[in-house]
Amino acid sequence: MKCGESDLSSLLGDYSRRDFLKVCTASAVYMGLGESFGPQVAEAAANAAKRPPVIWLSAQECTGCTETLLRTGHPTLETLILDLISLEYHETLNAGSGHQAEEFRAHSIEENKGKFILVVDGAIPVKDGGIYCKIAGRTALEILEETAPQAAAVIAIGSCASWGGVPAAEPNPTGATPVHKILEGKGIAIINIPGCPPNPYNFLSTVLYYVTLNKLPELDDKLRPKFAYGRLIHENCERRAHFDAGRFAEQFGDEGHRKGYCLYKLGCKGPETYNNCSTLRFNDIGVWPVNTGHPCFGCSEGGVGFSTPLHSPAQLHHITPPAWFPSATPEKGKGASALAAAVAGAAVGAGIVAAGMNLGKKDHEEDEES
Amino acid sequence: MAKRITIDPVTRIEGHLRIDCEIDGGKVTNAWSSGQMWRGFELILQGRDPRDAWMFTQRFCGV
Repeated sequence: MKCGESDLSSLLGDYSRRDFLKVCTASAVYMGLGESFGPQVAEAAANAAKRPPVIWLSAQECTGCTETLLRTGHPTLETLILDLISLEYHETLNAGSGHQAEEFRAHSIEENKGKFILVVDGAIPVKDGGIYCKIAGRTALEILEETAPQAAAVIAIGSCASWGGVPAAEPNPTGATPVHKILEGKGIAIINIPGCPPNPYNFLSTVLYYVTLNKLPELDDKLRPKFAYGRLIHENCERRAHFDAGRFAEQFGDEGHRKGYCLYKLGCKGPETYNNCSTLRFNDIGVWPVNTGHPCFGCSEGGVGFSTPLHSPAQLHHITPPAWFPSATPEKGKGASALAAAVAGAAVGAGIVAAGMNLGKKDHEEDEES
Repeated sequence: MAKRITIDPVTRIEGHLRIDCEIDGGKVTNAWSSGQMWRGFELILQGRDPRDAWMFTQRFCGV
């Protein structure tokens, strides 16, 4: 533990050193780094010289992503976020307005060229030359294209920035486009933290990972950190046992709903949404939509949230194993009966049946020979 | 001669707001406030299942 006492006490303010280490260790474990990385994370977080400058650009957003970071019930989180990083520009949090804010942004970009993290919330409208979102008389598109190549990495926070979200819902009136599409092919490191809003710990852990190891966490094909978006909500859902047992709420307020049965038939999109809501949960009091009795609507998954109707059933990609399996070592010598062949033919197609019949015939011939 | 002052962006609020003021002889003679971002919720909501509406409308503003 090399974490300097003075660094820590100046960083912590009202919080105890113990609380700070607890959060850092929890984050380390959560990122899959292991408990022993806790002190290393704390050291990186407490070392002011390493605090990465962050420029936060807002485009077509609702500020929900900012709120989720600032209004968490956890006592230390917003302080950690603001002390852990050096927040240089953020429209909602800036003290200065107008040209003062814009001048400071330009100055900070110049000073921290190649070192700052660019966080973007909101989609970027491209229709009609991008006029549907303007800051200081310039389009969000123009500002992003100018700023991103100078950043060390770009974090697209929220569903809007990650895959389009609400503004990109059909008929996408403003040509709302995710950040990674705008910056495609420019060789810029991009991380998506989707969710509407995303869990603040997913953002915090990504930043801590970068600060501690000086590299980006492992990402999936949709540029999401695997430690947070590696599993379907359905896989770790507390109501999963009801799904497997076929116990469903059929309507809001019915007996099954009151008993806490699975919400699949009410349109829960847990089976097609990759996120950690069912394990990490929200507001530091362990709530998330499903434990309040509402189906997940897939807010963080492109092509699910805001695009499929809320109460239509989800596509099941991983179907529950059946209760009964055919024997792996069938009894020899009987062949396929005509009835079995017909049933199987209806189910799996004629080609396989033909093969099955041949196999049966062969077994039968063997029996005759013996 | 009227002087024009523009404040854009207005910070510490949600959204993208711009204020334009015309000042003549030390007095504001005219002023405009304009939202600088539009997503088109009215168009997005058309033709959808009404039960989906809250999912969109509650996302006007996240504050």
